Amino acid sequence: MALALSLACIVSLPGTASATVYAQIEGTGSTWSELIVQQWIADVDANGMKVVYTGGGSTKGRKDFSQDSTDFAISEIPYQGTDEQGQADTSNGREFAYLPIVAGGTAFTYQLKVGGQLVRNVRLSGETIAKIFTNQITNWNDPAIAKDNNGRTFPSLAITPVVRSDGSGTTAQFTSWMDKQFPSVWRPYFGRSGLTSYYPKKSGTRMTSQAGSDQVMNTIKGFSGNGMIGYVEYSYPLNADYPVVKVLNKAGYFVEPTQYNTAVALTKAQINRDKSSQLYLTQILDGVYNNPDPRAYPISSYSYMIIPTGDDDPRMSTAKRQTLADFMYYSLCAGQSKAGPYGYSPLPLNLVQAGFEQLAKLKTADPDVDLDNRDVRSCNNPTFDGKNLNNNVLAQQAPQPAACDKVGAGPCGTDTGTNTPSGGEGGTGGDGGAGAGGDGGNAGGDGGAAGDAPGAIDPETGQVVGAADGTSTSGEAIYANPTELAADRAVDERTFGWLAVLELVALVLLPGLYVMTLRRRRASTGSTTGATKVARP
Amino acid sequence: MRRLLALILLATAIAVPAGAVASPAGAPDGFTGLDRRNERADGWSETKTLTRTFVQGDGSTYSFPSYKVTVSADQTRNLRGRQRIEISWKGAQPSGGRAGNPFGENGLNQEYPVVILQCRGVDDPSLPKSKQLRPETCWTGSVAQRSQITRAEGEASWIHDADADAADKERLSGIDPFPSAEQCPTADVAGYYTHLTPFVAAKGTSFSACDAASMPPEAAVGTAAPPAEIAAYTDTDGSGEVQFEVRSDVENESLGCSHKVACSVVVIPIVGLSCDQPQTPMTRSDQACRKGGRFPAGSSNFANEGVDQAVSPSLWWAASNWKNRFAIPITFGLPPDACDVLDPRPPTGFYGSELLAQAALQWAPAYCLNKGRFKFQLNQMSDEAGWNLMENGGGAAAVVSSEHDQRGSDPVGYAPTAVTGFAVGYQVDKPDNGGELTDLRLNARLLAKLMSQSYLGSDLGRGHPGIGGNPLSIVNDPEFIELNPGLSQTSQEAAATLLSLSNDSDIIEQVTDYIAHDQDAMDFMHGKKDPWGMVINPRYRDLELPRADWPLLDTYVPETASECRQNNPGVYFSQLAAPVTTLRKIAEALLDAWPYVATRCEFDTGTNTYKMGRIDRQSFGSRFMLGIVSLGDAERYGLRSAALETKPGTYVEPSARSLGAAVRLADQAKQAHPFALDQADVQRSSDAYPGTMIVYTAARLQNLPEEDAAKVAQFIRVSMSEGQRPGSGNGELPAGYLPIQRTGVTAKLYDSAQDVADAIEEQQAPEPTDPTGNGGGDGGPGGSIVPPGDVPIDDVPSADAGPSAVPTGPAAPIAMPATQPVDSSLAGGLLPLLILLGAAGCLVATVLRVAGPALRRRR
Repeated sequence: MALALSLACIVSLPGTASATVYAQIEGTGSTWSELIVQQWIADVDANGMKVVYTGGGSTKGRKDFSQDSTDFAISEIPYQGTDEQGQADTSNGREFAYLPIVAGGTAFTYQLKVGGQLVRNVRLSGETIAKIFTNQITNWNDPAIAKDNNGRTFPSLAITPVVRSDGSGTTAQFTSWMDKQFPSVWRPYFGRSGLTSYYPKKSGTRMTSQAGSDQVMNTIKGFSGNGMIGYVEYSYPLNADYPVVKVLNKAGYFVEPTQYNTAVALTKAQINRDKSSQLYLTQILDGVYNNPDPRAYPISSYSYMIIPTGDDDPRMSTAKRQTLADFMYYSLCAGQSKAGPYGYSPLPLNLVQAGFEQLAKLKTADPDVDLDNRDVRSCNNPTFDGKNLNNNVLAQQAPQPAACDKVGAGPCGTDTGTNTPSGGEGGTGGDGGAGAGGDGGNAGGDGGAAGDAPGAIDPETGQVVGAADGTSTSGEAIYANPTELAADRAVDERTFGWLAVLELVALVLLPGLYVMTLRRRRASTGSTTGATKVARP
Repeated sequence: MRRLLALILLATAIAVPAGAVASPAGAPDGFTGLDRRNERADGWSETKTLTRTFVQGDGSTYSFPSYKVTVSADQTRNLRGRQRIEISWKGAQPSGGRAGNPFGENGLNQEYPVVILQCRGVDDPSLPKSKQLRPETCWTGSVAQRSQITRAEGEASWIHDADADAADKERLSGIDPFPSAEQCPTADVAGYYTHLTPFVAAKGTSFSACDAASMPPEAAVGTAAPPAEIAAYTDTDGSGEVQFEVRSDVENESLGCSHKVACSVVVIPIVGLSCDQPQTPMTRSDQACRKGGRFPAGSSNFANEGVDQAVSPSLWWAASNWKNRFAIPITFGLPPDACDVLDPRPPTGFYGSELLAQAALQWAPAYCLNKGRFKFQLNQMSDEAGWNLMENGGGAAAVVSSEHDQRGSDPVGYAPTAVTGFAVGYQVDKPDNGGELTDLRLNARLLAKLMSQSYLGSDLGRGHPGIGGNPLSIVNDPEFIELNPGLSQTSQEAAATLLSLSNDSDIIEQVTDYIAHDQDAMDFMHGKKDPWGMVINPRYRDLELPRADWPLLDTYVPETASECRQNNPGVYFSQLAAPVTTLRKIAEALLDAWPYVATRCEFDTGTNTYKMGRIDRQSFGSRFMLGIVSLGDAERYGLRSAALETKPGTYVEPSARSLGAAVRLADQAKQAHPFALDQADVQRSSDAYPGTMIVYTAARLQNLPEEDAAKVAQFIRVSMSEGQRPGSGNGELPAGYLPIQRTGVTAKLYDSAQDVADAIEEQQAPEPTDPTGNGGGDGGPGGSIVPPGDVPIDDVPSADAGPSAVPTGPAAPIAMPATQPVDSSLAGGLLPLLILLGAAGCLVATVLRVAGPALRRRR
């Protein structure tokens, strides 16, 4: 009896705390946004939600969703109707809605070694990048690359572009950018206009393809990766501690896809506002590519979740819809706060709000879904501006690029791929960029930023003072030296390592020895000190 | 009589959990999952006699010899979703025609297997029908496992089941009224037989199971949760065992098992249908019912040929099979109270090591549900990235497991938070369907061979310069064969590699440190052949160890006639290694036996291009995969961990004892700094696990905002108290972690954590005290309480070196080989030598010149 009573007590306990009933949901798709999605999944586990996400590429995500084998998909691009091969790319009649989940920059990560050292500050214009990925520029010593780097010429080294072999939203974003910005470069290569999820690879070229962002990163990082360049979301090189290309923007600055620069760029994204359109909330990025702000990273975009909204969806139940709604509630709100550290950029509040409206369709489909109190007011989103939801606070706080990042100046010596604001950040001038940002909030900032760049930067070369000459004390920056013949040979290192050690020893010891001998000579030639007296027998 | 027995068993089974609730202590030694072999209090066992009978043409009954089958389960109470329970049996009819993959519909073409299913309800006739189990509440992931659709008469053996109701002997049976042609277009075809076993979901919806569209949503093709139901194989001695994964309502809402809804695991040893009186002459279905199998006991059926239906698992629902069931009642634990998604407090992120992931999952709700605490979140990333965020103020604290270089000016304190480590996880099948390997041994040299990409993978690797004579994979390596005899030597690409991390990690540092302290492994790394003639991949020769990242150094692109590879020239060995970004991915790859090896090259007709991709999942019976996992993941997912060599010939598995022995060897050089585990000490010990790692919460001791400092201090103190209590509840320490206690070997960690918590809270570095005195004081009480096995270890290190000499110890063996010049050493070595000679000459000359006069004068 007592047992039964105690059991009953235990059973009645959870009532209030776990009122929400969740069921496991699963999805596939983009590897572009996978790194942060997986962290969100780990986070909501504490809320009792089980979410399974397995990547596989955006194309697979859209396809799996259309075949009812998943509860959601993540893709960088919407359903295309028909894909580049003329095959259907639709939801197959399954009702759905798009929902932006996170922003980010498609980064170009590379391995380029000069004198055995990884170059970490390459800058390239969009056109150079497009020509590299269409096999028109095939060597790192190409004059176009030297021009982008303000005259620095890299050694002769063949360029190996690494592309995605699977159907990828990253590829779609990249080719879409080339199609819009450099049609004369891209279209003859592709053979037609428009974007593609499957990167076209010409046989007989050095270009190589890999499945998934992980493998692209592995290939570039590998020992035989010298000369390779590929495209992945910024989080991958950040995680791998690998450099990314600073890409030239409309204002004439070479910038890195930090959360700030991405946020700034996306202030010019045109979001489809037609609620009756199936493409509601999807992005038109032309304005992003040409954003005149000196801080904007041109190849910035949003990633989307595709959620099932039909009231008779064969896979969905109240518990699953609730899980989807609350998983997204967390991700769109608190989850955005960690976008920056992971190499993404948080969504602006207006898109978060629009996302909630899309989530509301889950409740329309099933009135038992509880969406009470899940709105932007309770969001802890770093882009939040209480007065104007369309404002992105992050974009306003974004530091201006350093003067040495401007066309015709620099290049800056600081490393890329470290998730720190661009520019003269060289240890001493750590907040130089941020300082410039303070007065450069308005559009006229670019001239000003260059002019009154912080004192740590040499006004003529734009380089960090102290690191300007080749023998930099920090030893971080690596400048190209085209006359260097042998990149690095282990034997040399060993040999001259020895030599260096010996020289160091000599440097330390010899003066002392010399002084000692001098002193001894002085002592032995007559000066009478106690010590010598005692020493004499 | 049988029913009475069952009732008594049921009663005892129900009584057991009450006891468990009353004393929620959990496993006594804390490291719960690792000691599964111990009999559990909540196990279950039952014995039944099973007999197949035929009613003969003359009305008499013929009985086959009976099987007295005993089925046992190791745990049945307070289970969690996706937990695996061990089910074993003896006395059953030996199986034949073993399938390559026994799960779900892949296991249907076998004879005399043991069918194991999870069903809603319990086997208690006294309960209302809705709470009883029946075939309609048993989960299967496919139609073929529960329905027989339009079978010819020769495949309609169930219509002669001696125990079946008359209705089930009809041409169309299972659902009354039978679904219309619109609902089930293929079910009713004249002249063919159909039996449907509908599935009734927890909410009452009935799915007719006549095609894929009429199955519950969780049964979708390619679902994230692969089938758990299994047609298991009984060895020729009549015994067998499997790890059966149970699903709660979170994973399978339609099945709907939870702490409120009772469920059972149903075990049906197939002995063959019992058949009713045949017509004369026998019809084809009469004959089908009486078939006894075409595969001999112990044989395999990898070609997936058809089997005799009457002895196959397909008809588990038929009355004469169903009555032979063992219904093991299981209960699910209360779902842990979860954080409220509407909690307005912003989470405080700690950044870093995935080693803490499983603990953090259980700890997080204990923070969010307590108003007196902050909202804790672990953001997993590389230790170094987490460290950098902590140093530059991006995160309140970092979670790391070794000492990191301080880049900022603020001092940083390391508070021990958990004792866990890495394991070399494996998924290996014994040959000839002998079951899963449960005992794998590895040494440092084998790890070095795997990581240095010195196995060839396949014929594609044979052209690699310098190592063409090496084994294709570890299973062909005589050293491995000697260590793990009796395994299949059929090579596959995945057996040439150890799936590892692509990014920096303290785990890689520890793995490579283990290699660096093994003389044989380092000889191999420096180019010395192993005793069987295998040589290191020259690209990795003399690689500096230990290191936090494992680079992909190979450059070899095979020359091949394959047009696909010619179009995708890639570094073959890097495609074999294919490291990934998180430990969790590795654990899941092992669980699914799906390597990341990216050597699949194929023509995609859709895009008219050749492309590379990940190879297929490995098939059951021939799996071989190795990967580096965290001990927390290994326990959570039930992965097996290899024993690693310490002393020559001694192999140590991760366990509470071996982790404790390693902690005992760890020294702290300076207050508030990490404890260093010297692998040289580990390799002298006989019971310390080399993969033991201490996870620290690291935070700045200056300039940390007061609010953050208070949170970090609170986290450390909570982690040291309730966070070290073993258990699966909120705030408790999950399996895979050794509890840090106030006394015993872990006392020094406990004390250090308390000191650092104070220092962080006060934002003042602790006063430097004499580390040896402190260490000695802590070690003293530890010595008296640790298990007796630890005593001898203590003697060994102290005997050969004084305590102050220990930190410099490890440097010597690494530094020596690294500076040893190798192939072009003649030229490289001669030059400095000459310079040295010259310099010495100069020096001597100077000395002579200076000292000469003095000497002369003295004379």
